[in-house]
Amino acid sequence: MQKEAAIREPLILGHKSYHDVTEDVCRPIEDKAPRMWYVLFGIALIIALYGIGCIVYLLGTGIGVWGLNKTIGWAWDITNFVWWVGIGHAGTLISAVLLLFRQKWRMAINRSAEAMTIFAVFMAGLFPLIHMGRLWVGYWVLPLPNQFGSLWVNFNSPLLWDVFAISTYLSVSLVFWYIGLIPDFATIRDRAKKPVSKKMYSILSFGWSGRAKNWNRFETVSLVLAGLATPLVFSVHSIVSFDFATSIVPGWHTTIFPPYFVAGAVFSGFAMVQTLLLVMRKAMGLEAYIHTKHVEYMNIVIMVTGSIVGTAYITELFISWYSGVEYEAYAFLNRATGPYWWAYWSMMTCNVISPQLMWIRKLRRSLLFTFFISIVVNIGMWFERYVIIVTSIHRDYLPSAWSMHYPSHIDIGVYIGTIGIFFVFFLLFARYFPVLALNEIKTILKGSGQSYKEAPDYHKHH
Amino acid sequence: MGMARKYWKGLEELKETTEFIKHKENEFPTQQTVEAFLSNDKLDETSTGRRDFLKFLGFSVAAATLAACEAPVTKAVPYVVKPENVTPGVATWYASTYYDGASYASILVKTREGRPIFIKGNKDFGLTQGAVNPQIIASILGLYDSARLIGPTENGKLTSWTTVDSSISKALKSAKTVSLLSNSIISPTLQKQIDEMSAAMSANGQLLNHIQYDAISYSAIRQANEQNFGAAIIPSYDFSKAKTIISLGADFMGTWLMANQYVQQYGLTRNPDSKWMSKHFQFESFMSLSGSNADYRGMIKPSEQAAVLSYLIKGLGGNCAVASTLNTPVKNIADQALKSLKSSKQSSLVVCGSNNLSLQLLTNQLNQLLGSYGTTIDLTNDVKLFKSEDAKVIKLANDVISGKGPDALLFMGVNPVYSLPNGEAFGKALKKIKTTVSFSGFADETASLCSYVCPDHHALESWLDYQPTNNHYAIAQPTIRPIHNTASVIETFSVWSGKSIRLGKDSSTAYDLIKSNYSERFPLGDFAYSTHNSCETLPGNANVLTPFKKGVLGKMPSAGALEVVLYQKGAIGNGQHASNPWLQEMPDPITKATWDNYITMNPVEMKQQGFVTTYDQEHGLNLATVSVNGNKVTLPVFPLPGQALNTVGIALGYGRGANGEAIGKAAFQTKEYGGHDLDDKGGLKPIGANVYHFVSTENGNLQFDTTGSLAKEEGTYAIASTQIHHTVMGRHSIVRETTLPIFTSKGKEAYNPAHTLQKLNKEGHHEDVPNSEFDLWDAHPVEKIGHRWGMTIDLSSCIGCGSCLIACQSENNVPVVGKDEVRRGREMHWLRIDRYFASDEEATIGLRKDKDTFSYDKAEIAAENPKVIHMPMMCQHCNHAPCETVCPVLATTHSNEGLNQMTYNRCIGTRYCANNCPYKVRRFNWFEYPSYKKFTEVNPAQDDLGRMVLNPDVTVRTRGVMEKCSFCVQRIQSTKLVAKKESRMINDGEFATACSDACPTNAIIVGDWNDFKSVVYSSSKNDRSYQALEEIGVKPNVWYKVKVRNEDNELLSSLQEEKPIAHHEGKKAHH
Amino acid sequence: MAEKVIYVMYDDEEVLKDGAKSLVSKGIKIADVFSPFPIHGIDPIIGVKNTRLGIMAFLYGLTGLMLATVGMRFFMVTDWPMNIGGKPNFSYLENMLAFVPVTFEFTVLCAAHGMVITYLLANKTLPGMPAQNPDPRTTDDRFVMEIRLSDNHQSSEKEIDELLKNTGFVEIDKKEVN
Repeated sequence: MQKEAAIREPLILGHKSYHDVTEDVCRPIEDKAPRMWYVLFGIALIIALYGIGCIVYLLGTGIGVWGLNKTIGWAWDITNFVWWVGIGHAGTLISAVLLLFRQKWRMAINRSAEAMTIFAVFMAGLFPLIHMGRLWVGYWVLPLPNQFGSLWVNFNSPLLWDVFAISTYLSVSLVFWYIGLIPDFATIRDRAKKPVSKKMYSILSFGWSGRAKNWNRFETVSLVLAGLATPLVFSVHSIVSFDFATSIVPGWHTTIFPPYFVAGAVFSGFAMVQTLLLVMRKAMGLEAYIHTKHVEYMNIVIMVTGSIVGTAYITELFISWYSGVEYEAYAFLNRATGPYWWAYWSMMTCNVISPQLMWIRKLRRSLLFTFFISIVVNIGMWFERYVIIVTSIHRDYLPSAWSMHYPSHIDIGVYIGTIGIFFVFFLLFARYFPVLALNEIKTILKGSGQSYKEAPDYHKHH
Repeated sequence: MGMARKYWKGLEELKETTEFIKHKENEFPTQQTVEAFLSNDKLDETSTGRRDFLKFLGFSVAAATLAACEAPVTKAVPYVVKPENVTPGVATWYASTYYDGASYASILVKTREGRPIFIKGNKDFGLTQGAVNPQIIASILGLYDSARLIGPTENGKLTSWTTVDSSISKALKSAKTVSLLSNSIISPTLQKQIDEMSAAMSANGQLLNHIQYDAISYSAIRQANEQNFGAAIIPSYDFSKAKTIISLGADFMGTWLMANQYVQQYGLTRNPDSKWMSKHFQFESFMSLSGSNADYRGMIKPSEQAAVLSYLIKGLGGNCAVASTLNTPVKNIADQALKSLKSSKQSSLVVCGSNNLSLQLLTNQLNQLLGSYGTTIDLTNDVKLFKSEDAKVIKLANDVISGKGPDALLFMGVNPVYSLPNGEAFGKALKKIKTTVSFSGFADETASLCSYVCPDHHALESWLDYQPTNNHYAIAQPTIRPIHNTASVIETFSVWSGKSIRLGKDSSTAYDLIKSNYSERFPLGDFAYSTHNSCETLPGNANVLTPFKKGVLGKMPSAGALEVVLYQKGAIGNGQHASNPWLQEMPDPITKATWDNYITMNPVEMKQQGFVTTYDQEHGLNLATVSVNGNKVTLPVFPLPGQALNTVGIALGYGRGANGEAIGKAAFQTKEYGGHDLDDKGGLKPIGANVYHFVSTENGNLQFDTTGSLAKEEGTYAIASTQIHHTVMGRHSIVRETTLPIFTSKGKEAYNPAHTLQKLNKEGHHEDVPNSEFDLWDAHPVEKIGHRWGMTIDLSSCIGCGSCLIACQSENNVPVVGKDEVRRGREMHWLRIDRYFASDEEATIGLRKDKDTFSYDKAEIAAENPKVIHMPMMCQHCNHAPCETVCPVLATTHSNEGLNQMTYNRCIGTRYCANNCPYKVRRFNWFEYPSYKKFTEVNPAQDDLGRMVLNPDVTVRTRGVMEKCSFCVQRIQSTKLVAKKESRMINDGEFATACSDACPTNAIIVGDWNDFKSVVYSSSKNDRSYQALEEIGVKPNVWYKVKVRNEDNELLSSLQEEKPIAHHEGKKAHH
Repeated sequence: MAEKVIYVMYDDEEVLKDGAKSLVSKGIKIADVFSPFPIHGIDPIIGVKNTRLGIMAFLYGLTGLMLATVGMRFFMVTDWPMNIGGKPNFSYLENMLAFVPVTFEFTVLCAAHGMVITYLLANKTLPGMPAQNPDPRTTDDRFVMEIRLSDNHQSSEKEIDELLKNTGFVEIDKKEVN
């Protein structure tokens, strides 16, 4: 067992034993859900159903129910897609990249972060589907042999790359997440009193027994998956950015998009993790496991990625002017001073200014402030995508085709709806799944647990 | 029953039960006629299953087509193929003639399986040399308008011909005075019938008073010529001979007289590569199509026309009593005009759009001074159209209103209740007349008030002969058996005068009369042959004219604080086509607005008076009320650069069907989620407002320029415009323009610099190299391999009339989407015409005055009296098409003939291609246009009869797929097929797209670019040729040719120097 | 035939590890260890060989890479080459750049899923499989050592008990299993 310096803040506060950890995590699952949970779930469900209603109307009537036009073929649909994919980056990054870097603090948050990731990517995946004019033939994006003769797909198209990137990312994250869940389900299974839940969890736990060999395989698989997921995290948003970078539209056709999008994704992802965890730790009494230190670590990530994003914005502006390309220059001038200036400047304030406040330790460690900023950041990141997509195509090459985009109430309904669906999923997760990685927490209990650090023989131990 | 058979077919087939055989027989009901079918109102509520619905659908087309399949009445002579072989899948072309009282053209009608589906100009024969206008092309849709009367009516109730004939003949016998109000009759045979009838009536002491009436009257021209030359004629103008053209408010390219003919002639003079190029001066208040194409355009009030004319007369040494004080800008242009006129005597032409006698007299005087008569103006071969007798019309109207009206009143091809200044009162008074008869095909404003309606055939259903000019004789032949129970007016008249008996829709009376009439005129003529050519030249019987003598000037147009110009739009004209959705949705050439008329005002003035000058999907325009001699109209105020200050313009021809008359469902406003929009009284809302009651009279001539006042109203009104940004923002690689002096004196580098990139040469120095030499990859070869379809569009000869747009819509089944969707920027036109105004930041459109002080904000605002460029924009069929690479499912790929082809049934509708199209020419099917309720009123494809107009060679696109210009690939294929059958190469010019077919000025040239002898190839190699957005390297197959204005422009010529710009271009492209 | 199995329960993984060491040094074979989380360092003591799943993952990835390459070459170059925006697809190499993203994704896809499926099968952890841990607490905070007499003929049950006594276990339980 590796030790760490005593001066490091403990990651697990209070004098917890292995059993306490189990208790803390399983209690919410075994107890009756608090009334608050039902209230939240109810609200989320209503919003979700409204969104689904809008989607049904959309599919029944045609894409025309959105506010798009001959010039602006993508607006809220792809904005939301990119926004959700971005959010869906934190989880896997935390559990994979931080695992590779042996960052122990990840263990408190990776389970719920990954859940968040998966639900977010679900929502993201929804938009490329419903934005299709003919969803019912959507399967044509797969290279299937078919009765039209061997009519294959276009591997030159970034959209096709998306199909592979998103589906790979989603399925791999899902698997990664579930592999970690299995032993914890076993724990719940073995504690379960009610026959129903016992049955449920024994199915979910795949009959996990915790043999030495199982754990041996388990650790290898986790490590390898982490190794595979890490490049995946970076590839997914790079590929999403190719949708724009490889196009010919001024304001899309930008080489810095891949790194810039990935940074942005991590930025918004961590913000969303903050939003969720700050509520969850209170609601589920996990203050001992997710505390100021974790929040601070995440805020540092937000600060760094936020600065990268800010730098990217400035670079874009500079290059557009320096390049001397008429259309490029105008595209960015138009962003800042054109009809959509308000979107651009709200993006700038939310994404460039606000994360800089994290340099101040006091703010960085203030949970309330963090919560506020985390929401601001996600608003900003939504605007970033809106600015990139809409303000670039609404005025591109031929002024005769210049146009404006006005969202319809279906646009809004679908977007809000996905947020509802997302929270339905997340609330169900918080209610029935172990929100902390039990088996992992236990491995670091001795290394980073407060009780053990404070124990007099800590340094002599073995 | 459908189900039963579905289940038991096999078994019964086995048993051969009688019942089964019965079923089998009427499985395909071939006997049913279209009338019987269409009268089956159960069709509307097909609440049956999908299969049954589809059965109905298929059957409706089948049945109707079958009915139409019957060959035209008696012997029609097709243009190329013999009539008896109507081969399914092979089009049959008929030569015919179009005349609707306002425009005239020699046309070719394309029929498929007996259905006329496309009209184009007849380039080989006829007066108009193949020139048509949007109305003529779109008129094909009128044939299939479901609002057409399906038979004669008595007091609005459908009845039989025998009953109406008997009762009307009785009524006519008893009537002491009968008035026939008709449009200008140019059909000798019809005229003969009318004359015979009046003769017969006067024989028994009755009076038939025939008055000809045009809603848009040119009577002053005839009066002026009567004074000057002793004959009330409209001469033939020949713009092709005019080196200097001066037009005072005459939109001779759009709507003035025989505009489509003039456009064609004008086009011939606009080629800078030929020996000379005409110089066109336009003095006008409203920015007309002609004004937008003028080399010099002066903004004047209608009341200032006299001054301009007199200034020119004096300038040429003539004497004129009229004051000639002009404001400086106009004076400068007038001086330029004088310079040009002096240099081009004998070959100048002055035309004036006003219907004021005095102005026309001055115009004639000026033409006389210039020696235009006998050169550009031919008095001997006068035009027979536009014989409106305004004074008589007004008298008749007043008589009717005051109850002194005739006993019987017949309306032919006119709609006075709508188009008379006092139409409303006239309509109310009609019931005082004992017998009122209309020959209208619709129960329009007038017909709906008549006791009898005897619907005439649609032009494409009837035999007619025409004498448009003194020495030209033309024949119109039917191209389809009459769809409804209608009758030719020629027959009707001869029936009423007891000369022949009613023979029903297949009657050959009209044919026989026309034929006999023909043989009288051409004793040696072969009718079949003439019909095949559609025309003959009459032995010249020149008019007897007295030498020019000065006329007596009467009252000039009165000036006013606000002068109101009543103009016509190229699409809607005088309003008779108001129910044609294609025309309603055709963007106005200048304002780009659809589905509305409005008050045009100069934005400069609007800002001063606190009107909003920008508009888009969500932001409408302020309303205002214009009052003219007591009459009021409230309309949105539209910012139109180039509108003379203190004047406003309002288009005539709108506000049709104000009382919900059944003139066609597309003539009324529709709601956002479908259905007609109803006013608070539950009535249909007409489109726009009728302003005919603003028309005043002067020397008994209808005046379309008048004075009034304007008051701002509360509220705004949404405008559906296809272009909400009006300048080109100083972008030099979209449109290019130069002046004739520059073009003739300097090299290509000056006015059409190639885009270059820099590369190191052997010496290690940077040198500018054309973009075309750079390529990221070794691309798919397109040159010199098979065909490579290309197109060149000459911006010098394109006048932006919109004929190509309508032809494209008709050829390619482009859906109509209605005002609300156009407002949302979702019009479906495959071909649009971009209109760019110059801003004060630009020396000319697209060329910055000063690179350093250039301001984008200022560049967004059009100049007060801007230059205008019209740029047809459709798919450029890029060889490196950005749309193709991004489609995930290969729904759009490149053909090995250089076409960017769209595979509709592979498209999944991601719209990525549209986003990535730099020209934004791709159109997405936002809804199921052929069935979604929102489009029932506007889209012909949703109408059982309207559906007939669809071109069977072109797929009707389904919801959720992308579509765009295909270079009329169906035509390419059929041309290739013909050539293949004859085992030869395709000849140059053998294939033409719908747009190039329709272009009256031949601005659009298509052909095989790989055939180096082809016109399109040499045209693309012309010094003026460039490719839009060449620097982005998409390698289009469409070339544009620099617009050359015949003007002197110091600033421009200082900017368009040979080297510097070229070098700068190099720099720009380099980064 | 039925055989006797001894389950020795500890409440601390370190104690168990020390115990295991001493037992093994005495020549006792430990059949298996059940624990709520991985005990680092236990595998060599009780002789659990390291898994080869990593290698499997590599092989799966290789397969994916190959499939992607061959597939795209067939689709885009061999079977139906088309002129897409004039881009060259005359040979795989010319068009290769466009194939990189999909190739990568597909490789990862195969590697990850191939490995995980193998892992689940090897573990016999599949939906509906019965749990085999001797005591429910082994998934909470207890660590159990499984010793089979059949593996230890050299020493009798008594001797084993003796040895176990000073390993500091908290509970001991003997079962007849077949």
